[in-house]
Amino acid sequence: MSAKQEFVDTVKSGKVLARKCTKCGELHLATVYYCKKCGNKGFENAILDGKGKIATYTIITVSPAGFEKYTPYAWVVLKLDESDLRISGFMAGIKTPVDLPIGTRAKITGFDDRGIIIEKQ
Amino acid sequence: MEKVCVLGAGSTKYGKLDDSISDITIQASVDAIESAGIEPKEIKAGYISNVFGVADKQVHLGPVVMSNLGISEKPSLSIESACGSGSVAFREAFANVYAGFYDAVLVTGVEKVTHTGTEWTTTYFSYCSDFFYEGGAGASFPGLFASMARAYLNEFKATEEDFALVAVKNHDNGFLNPKAHLRKKITVDDVMKSPVVASPLKLYDCCPFSDGASSVILCSEKFAKEHSKDYIQVIGSGRGGSPAALQGREHLTTIPSTKIASDAAYKMAGISPKNVDFAEVHDCFTIAEIVDTEDLGFFEKGQGVQAVREGQTKRNGQIPINPSGGLKSKGHPIGATGVGQVVEVFDQLTGKAGERTIKGAKIGLTHNFGATGASCAVHIFQSV
Repeated sequence: MSAKQEFVDTVKSGKVLARKCTKCGELHLATVYYCKKCGNKGFENAILDGKGKIATYTIITVSPAGFEKYTPYAWVVLKLDESDLRISGFMAGIKTPVDLPIGTRAKITGFDDRGIIIEKQ
Repeated sequence: MEKVCVLGAGSTKYGKLDDSISDITIQASVDAIESAGIEPKEIKAGYISNVFGVADKQVHLGPVVMSNLGISEKPSLSIESACGSGSVAFREAFANVYAGFYDAVLVTGVEKVTHTGTEWTTTYFSYCSDFFYEGGAGASFPGLFASMARAYLNEFKATEEDFALVAVKNHDNGFLNPKAHLRKKITVDDVMKSPVVASPLKLYDCCPFSDGASSVILCSEKFAKEHSKDYIQVIGSGRGGSPAALQGREHLTTIPSTKIASDAAYKMAGISPKNVDFAEVHDCFTIAEIVDTEDLGFFEKGQGVQAVREGQTKRNGQIPINPSGGLKSKGHPIGATGVGQVVEVFDQLTGKAGERTIKGAKIGLTHNFGATGASCAVHIFQSV
């Protein structure tokens, strides 16, 4: 199985497959091949909980093709609780900034043709 | 190493153009050749930047351009680096003249997309993002910059009206530019009442989709002196990169590649940001200009909005930004933009900018990036 497929399968269970550098311990999302901090090529899997806080977001009203039927929706950047890693994805049902103050608790809930799905906790 | 100069510059109008991508590329190239006062046979190589040639049924533009200039035997390089393609082509051309491989080269950037419509362009432009995390999860380009704007509003004392002031200023400049796509003055109220594209960005916070081509002749100082036309010198060149996805960046309100590229360019030129008389920066969205002017070192982080409120970036301000009208008003034919910025600096420093002229300017800077700044190039120019 490809690293990306393994990552997607993990996301579907609400978790994040991270890769921890065996030399310096730096965490990366699953598809990295060399450590960004020390250049090492060795990694071990680290399964992180997909819960965190909204770091930033936008509410899309003019969408790329395939997303028209979901507008308005949010595209969000989630800062995970257990590390400095952030992960981006699609959030349905957001109409105004009042619906999603920065810092709102949210979690990964799945993956489909809208990419990584994130919902408010 | 050779001293490198810009000897001539030309541009089509930016906007919705009827001619084909090949035609406008050649038109701009001929303008640059005539501006330089050279014969095409004196050109040793061509660097042609473009992103979506497939939309107008012509990729591999290099040989088409060279053939139409009567120099089909000359080598060419066709370059794609998203919205930063033009400055990357310029950089590759610069490096080759600097190293002494060629004494005169053509750099032409082009884009032709408006005939495809808003949905096509929004969708295909999103392919320039880190698609798995961004475009593939519904993020448009306005959306990616809107999320930077949201982070900026949260982190610093700024308002959406502050962002609107950038658009108003750039439209004031573009109003004086006969080649600009959107030649009309606007107000803060116009921006605030325009439809939301990706909250908090509204339509008038966004640059338009444009067609257009821009071209320059780069050459050695010796070659420039042998031709009696006006020229300017390239005194600094820098490039840099950032994590492709926004999520991977340490700060959501800083573009790392801008800092890396500009540090390298300032170092090469032996100057600091305060020595720059004016700059053409990558204002694809109003928030981008604010972030750029901070990352380029003109203002402290978080102070870019205050500078705009005080008018410091207007044509008569302390550091004029985007006297051409910028991407916002002049337009953003993405493969051409980075070259078009050099055309503006050439016009400014050789007395061809008409009513837009920055009085007494001797040093100009161009800043152009691809996608959300995943790749970036900065160049610094001096009058001679």
